[in-house]
Amino acid sequence: MTAKKKPWVKSAFSQLNMTPKASPVSAPYKRTRSGRATTSANVGTANVESTNVRKPQIVDLTVNEDDEEVNAATPIVSENWMDCFAPSTSEDLAVHPKKVGDVRNWLQHCEAMRKKYPAQICLLTGPAGCGKTATLRVLAQELGYELQEWINPTDCEEINALGDQPSDGTYMGSQLEAFKSFLLRASRYKSLLSAQNKRLLLVEDFPNVLLKDAAATFSDLLDEYISYGKSPLVFIAADSKSRMLNISYKLFTDQLKAKLRIEHISFNSIAATIMQKSMKRFTTLMQQQQHKSLYKLPTQTVLDSIVVCAQGDIRNALINLHFGSLKGAPSMVTKQLNVNAPSKGRKRKATNTLKSIGRDESITMMHALGRVFNPKYTEDRDKCLLHNPEDLAEAFSTEPRNFVNFIHANYLPHFQDIANVNSAVNDLGVADMLLQEYRDESLSLVSLTIAVRGCMVANVAPVSGWMPVRGPKRLTIEPQLTPAEQKLLGVAYAGISKRLYASEYSSFIKTIADNTK
Amino acid sequence: MALWVDKYRPRELSKLDYHKDQAENLRNLCKQSDFPHLMFYGPSGAGKKTRIMCLLREMYGPGVERLRNETMNFTTPSNRKIDIMTVGSNYHLEVNPSDAGMYDRTVVIDLIKQVAQTHQIDINGQREFKVIVISEGDELTKDAQHALRRTMEKYVATCRIILSVNSTSRIIPAIRSRCLGIRVPAPNETEMTAVLQNTCKREGLVLPPELAKRVIEKSDRNLRRALLMLEASKVQQYPFTANQQIAELDWQVYLRETASQIVSEQTPAKLEKIRDRLYELLSQGVPPNLIFRGLVEQLVNNCDMSIKAKTLEYATQYEHRMQNGAKHIFHLEAFVAQFMNIYKKFLAELVMTDDF
Repeated sequence: MTAKKKPWVKSAFSQLNMTPKASPVSAPYKRTRSGRATTSANVGTANVESTNVRKPQIVDLTVNEDDEEVNAATPIVSENWMDCFAPSTSEDLAVHPKKVGDVRNWLQHCEAMRKKYPAQICLLTGPAGCGKTATLRVLAQELGYELQEWINPTDCEEINALGDQPSDGTYMGSQLEAFKSFLLRASRYKSLLSAQNKRLLLVEDFPNVLLKDAAATFSDLLDEYISYGKSPLVFIAADSKSRMLNISYKLFTDQLKAKLRIEHISFNSIAATIMQKSMKRFTTLMQQQQHKSLYKLPTQTVLDSIVVCAQGDIRNALINLHFGSLKGAPSMVTKQLNVNAPSKGRKRKATNTLKSIGRDESITMMHALGRVFNPKYTEDRDKCLLHNPEDLAEAFSTEPRNFVNFIHANYLPHFQDIANVNSAVNDLGVADMLLQEYRDESLSLVSLTIAVRGCMVANVAPVSGWMPVRGPKRLTIEPQLTPAEQKLLGVAYAGISKRLYASEYSSFIKTIADNTK
Repeated sequence: MALWVDKYRPRELSKLDYHKDQAENLRNLCKQSDFPHLMFYGPSGAGKKTRIMCLLREMYGPGVERLRNETMNFTTPSNRKIDIMTVGSNYHLEVNPSDAGMYDRTVVIDLIKQVAQTHQIDINGQREFKVIVISEGDELTKDAQHALRRTMEKYVATCRIILSVNSTSRIIPAIRSRCLGIRVPAPNETEMTAVLQNTCKREGLVLPPELAKRVIEKSDRNLRRALLMLEASKVQQYPFTANQQIAELDWQVYLRETASQIVSEQTPAKLEKIRDRLYELLSQGVPPNLIFRGLVEQLVNNCDMSIKAKTLEYATQYEHRMQNGAKHIFHLEAFVAQFMNIYKKFLAELVMTDDF
């Protein structure tokens, strides 16, 4: 002990013991991640001590409901306001009861099959913030499971960065090994500290190695797990727009799911009504004794706008609610509550959204196409577009070509007059030409903007009504030659290009081949 | 049985039907020991390929006529496999890189490397280089052309390139300067008549001069088209009569109908139908520039004098964009929309003036 207090060598690891006294010493050692964490934590505590009102500013946004058990132990993090609002029973969950029932059934099924097939696998998917993890946690607690979660180790990476390990192969191998041993140990042996007998393995943080074209390795891994595992295993994967990034699509192929009988439960984003209900629960929680000093009750419009703004993301809604109802910052609240012009009579309910804060609005392709084809204008005297074309273009800046193709495939039925079509398609042509110019990167966004804006502005009198969205056509030119036709051309036909064949030969050859039979 | 176009294709420079002075020059070219890269340019169906084959025969002897097909495999940097059909003999290789679409760069480089890195085994062969014939060189992307430029220089000792292009304007200047350009103009009417009559005589047929004239008119001085047309007409009806129906290219017929539809109605719904027709043509493999040209010709024929100039002006603008862009349909459609717009305005004005 004394050696620790009076070290004769400054240990690089000393920063890991997060003692407040050591922090001034650790300042020069800011190199590692843990060192930074200590300093920031200390700044945080200082703030808490100095002003009581500003307490919530130290909110750590990266902490979510997942960290219940850990957080309960230390006093500082127990201030995490999010835990207070985390659902504790399955009734509190904002998820649709049917999905909760699905997960519960699966867990009960695992229970029933425990003797024979202990290693069941389940996959939960859904958009971010739709309560996948929360559902699992709550149900695990209710059914008496101990959750054991895999977290990607970061230390291997750091050693690598320092250059201690020359090859990157070792790093890849080691993480995979670590993951394998986690699967083996966590499923078989219970923690010394836990009282529960049943274990549930959770993988939300997919090992990076598996994400890099290693679907085969992954299926082998699961195959093995089925044979040796002793506990149910749950994977949670958030949906992603792009197919290539979508874990559930890439790693969990249909064959794999069928082969290993993986239960796939896909969550939807949370419906507005359920969201409103849980907002009510949050507000009642806010009025409890221990929170009263922190929060004031937000108005109904603020609540509504939070729900609209969150787009089915309960976690985001909670963060916004927290920000919107802090007592210490009255001026902020009014500012945030910048009510946008409501879109005309589409819904009965007010569609206010928070202006300055809120979830980054991501829109789907179909949604964006709708905005392009049915341009809405504000009702002010100076009519301007309700949805800014630049924003729409920005949202699809990663796939400009695709979006332009979609616009082209679908824009025609939305126009009434050929003059308007003319100007729209003119802009599409310009966009296509600019997209071809690969030497300047910014041009792709410019051309996309031209296409979007051109289409919106040109459509003076849009045709309203539902029109199915069609995908852009792909042209594959493959001239099909019958044997007779081929014989006519002889060996030389390989020297005739497809274009030349189509434009010069095809119709004559058809006639000649037909008539000489 | 072979097509007339192939069957009666002249095989030697001395037997060519027209451009005889040029044939003499080509023969002189072969007599010298060295031989630069060549670029044959001229309209489609003028006889570029025929002259190239004659030249090769002059150089290598009848061995070049022992043709064989070969499918070559290429792998693009993005790991995409491409199969390209080639025709070749021991001395030359003929390839259409444009069939590979946007991957033509890989094809050009790999092909030339493959060919150029193997020396001729036969020491008695007259030349120590092989020849690569690239047809439709103007369809090569700029990327491929730049790649070609470098490889052309690097492997000049073992391989010569003969490009066959329609228009030199789409060949980058760097390649134009590395090649000896040989222009092959389209045959004139008397030359074409002679060829048609000659062919019929060898087939033992009688061709009325009026019919020959009509075929030549229809074929746009494209000899290949004229011969195919004549052969197709022959299988439809023989003995020939002066005013019998001539087989036509089906895409031209289709395009003519499309043009008349454009003139008949100018609405977005019609434009959508026109677009489908254009897609149909493109998916058949008809080159977009031919579609564009055919469309403009038909529309200009169909419309009033006062809007002809404007139509042509817009046509040049959109055609230019089409060459620079990637999606041909955008620009074809844009042109059709533009024409519809002009035409509709013109019709409205016509009604106005009639009222007064």
